[in-house]
Amino acid sequence: MRARVALVAVAALTVLAAAGCSGDSSPLPGRPSASAGPAPTGAAAVDVSCRPRASLKPAGALPAPGRMPAGSYMAEIYKRGRLVLGTSQDTLLFSSRNPFTGKVEGFDVDMGRQIAQAIFDDPDKIQIKVIAYDKRVSSAVDGSVDLVADTMTANCARWKDVDFSSIYYEAGQKVLVAKGSKATSINDLGGKKVCSARGSTSYDNIGKVPAKPIPVARPGFGDCLVAFQQNEVDAISTDDTILVGLAAQDPYAKVVGRRFTDEPYGMAMNKQHPEFTRFVNAVLAKNRANGTWKSTYERWLGDFGPAPQPPAAEYKG
Amino acid sequence: MSTAQLDRPSRVAANPSGGALQRVARLRRTSPGRLQLILAGLLTLGLLTGLVAGLTAATAATGTADLGNRAQPLLVEAETIYSALADADTTAAQAFLAGGLEPTDLTRRYSDDLDRATTALTSAARRTPETGRSADAIRRLSTDVARYSALVASARANNRQGLPVGAAYLSSASTLSRESLQPQAQALFQAAQSEVDDGYGDARSSWWSALLIVLLLALLAALLLAQRHLSRTTHRTFNVPLLIATTLTLVLALGVGTVLVSQRAHLTEADTEGSWPVALLAETRIAALRERGDEALTLAARSGEGALETDFDQTSARLDDLLTDAGQVMPDGYAGSAVRAAAQAHHDYVGAHDKVRKLDNDGDYDGAVALTIGAPTSGTFTGLTDDIGQALENRKDVFRRQIGAAGHGLGLLTVLGPLLALLVCGLAFAGIRARLEEYR
Repeated sequence: MRARVALVAVAALTVLAAAGCSGDSSPLPGRPSASAGPAPTGAAAVDVSCRPRASLKPAGALPAPGRMPAGSYMAEIYKRGRLVLGTSQDTLLFSSRNPFTGKVEGFDVDMGRQIAQAIFDDPDKIQIKVIAYDKRVSSAVDGSVDLVADTMTANCARWKDVDFSSIYYEAGQKVLVAKGSKATSINDLGGKKVCSARGSTSYDNIGKVPAKPIPVARPGFGDCLVAFQQNEVDAISTDDTILVGLAAQDPYAKVVGRRFTDEPYGMAMNKQHPEFTRFVNAVLAKNRANGTWKSTYERWLGDFGPAPQPPAAEYKG
Repeated sequence: MSTAQLDRPSRVAANPSGGALQRVARLRRTSPGRLQLILAGLLTLGLLTGLVAGLTAATAATGTADLGNRAQPLLVEAETIYSALADADTTAAQAFLAGGLEPTDLTRRYSDDLDRATTALTSAARRTPETGRSADAIRRLSTDVARYSALVASARANNRQGLPVGAAYLSSASTLSRESLQPQAQALFQAAQSEVDDGYGDARSSWWSALLIVLLLALLAALLLAQRHLSRTTHRTFNVPLLIATTLTLVLALGVGTVLVSQRAHLTEADTEGSWPVALLAETRIAALRERGDEALTLAARSGEGALETDFDQTSARLDDLLTDAGQVMPDGYAGSAVRAAAQAHHDYVGAHDKVRKLDNDGDYDGAVALTIGAPTSGTFTGLTDDIGQALENRKDVFRRQIGAAGHGLGLLTVLGPLLALLVCGLAFAGIRARLEEYR
């Protein structure tokens, strides 16, 4: 009951906060963090009242590239000549800067490129804008990017401010420790410093672990790896896929334990133009069906085994 | 009985002073007594003048030397530390922007910057007392520079292996530079600036000079009065030794005046033509490097225009103001033309920067990077810092010349001042003693 009251209060504040709002997990001044409300009863306290996995249903057939419906947001993007994708540049395999070429690439970037392909028939008509983890919601809200594809968990707190696409990747939180560590899961890290990106759901989840590890926030996961290598933190905890990318850069690190949360990734968009969300979902549906999703998975994540079935799309209206 | 016993010692103690006063009063009533009093007055004034002349010259000389050898060089070193660190940060970011292996000229420039910063830090430490604001800043700088270079080294090692964490190391290094190193260097710069201001006060040693002038005038007046008294009470119009003493006192006063006036003129010149423009130009160079750093870091962050671009605009406006001020302080000559060239170069550079921002904002990131680290833009920017650097060197020379000139004569005065005063005392003694002999 109290939790519901708190949620209503948060929702009311969200409306009041108007343009300045963001459903990010990082607390903003004057606005309590939504995730801080419920009591930390382990990983079970996930708010699913809004059906975070369900997105807007695609409307009819996908328009041909270059023939976007007049008045739609896609037509606006087409007129501009490029799709602006908000992502990070230090999440190896998902979106990281290739040090040899200087280009930002990965699974998330390819998701964005496939949308550009559907609009322009050219995946290169994309502008990469690197955004901080705690700016992922606000960047979609203020329109500085068209689309956020940045290992972003679709959850109810964020749904209040942005629309998510259907789920395009299933991740879960694990923990990275030093090779010599005896810890086998986050539960063995009570009182230890565990790093995560500021404004990520992973950061909040660390605080909910009953063993009480000490959460340490850094701007990004690359910064967490720096802190880990400088012995400023004992472990890093976030989605398994990101951790694998970090462990690949440090032979003295290993990923341990089982997933203790479910992190379904969706692409975030502005709520002002639902037709764009429906369009993105249509592209995702097409790519799930024609094997593009599978080949993208194999390109970036193939080293971890064969591609699983793509996450099934769920819709709500 | 007991009171008598207590009284006796006190009377004994009071006797000399009471006796001295009575003796002075008694002396005033006789002609030789008056002469003795005059002699005592002249000797006291003469000795005091000699002492103060020596002290004034010594204080002024020490102050001037401290200003020239410690305070001003400290200011210059603080600027070197600041600008070298800012340049290192910018260069590291640019090398990162280039992609692939860092270009050799950029890594060399980075190493040179770090060398310059550490060398300046070592010599700044020598010029700073062990406690105080400057000392704290130097200590923090020394530890943080080591951390900074370690972070950049890790960034490079990772970059060489193609690991994206290299970028995170670089951004940690940059954060350290911008949030700790550069503010510390700025604190050191400001502390040095106030030391320079204090240094001018010490070098002028105004209180000592004023005291010396008063004493010289008093001595001169006393000598003249003594001669008037002698010519009235004796049958000789002139007392030759006292006449020579008066001349010597005049010579001393003239010497002191010349040296001090010239010292002050040169100090003023060193301040307005040296220290002040040097501080102004140092700030200008720092602002220019900050602009360039903002530009590179904005592109490296790849997040469009943000706080750093706002900082660029503010810094750019301040730089224009600084260059205008510098143009007014140095309207002509070598430094003046260098400042004018710098203003033009800054104008060109801001033009290039606007193009970079337009390219990036319009989605051509690679084009923006190519333009910003490309030869024309780099050349324009190097031209800007070189022009400022030339004007700065020119003003440093002016300062050195003026401070050297300000020190001239002070050493001589330290020795000759007391000697001349002693001579005056000796002559006064001789002159009046001859008259005293006549009463024997």
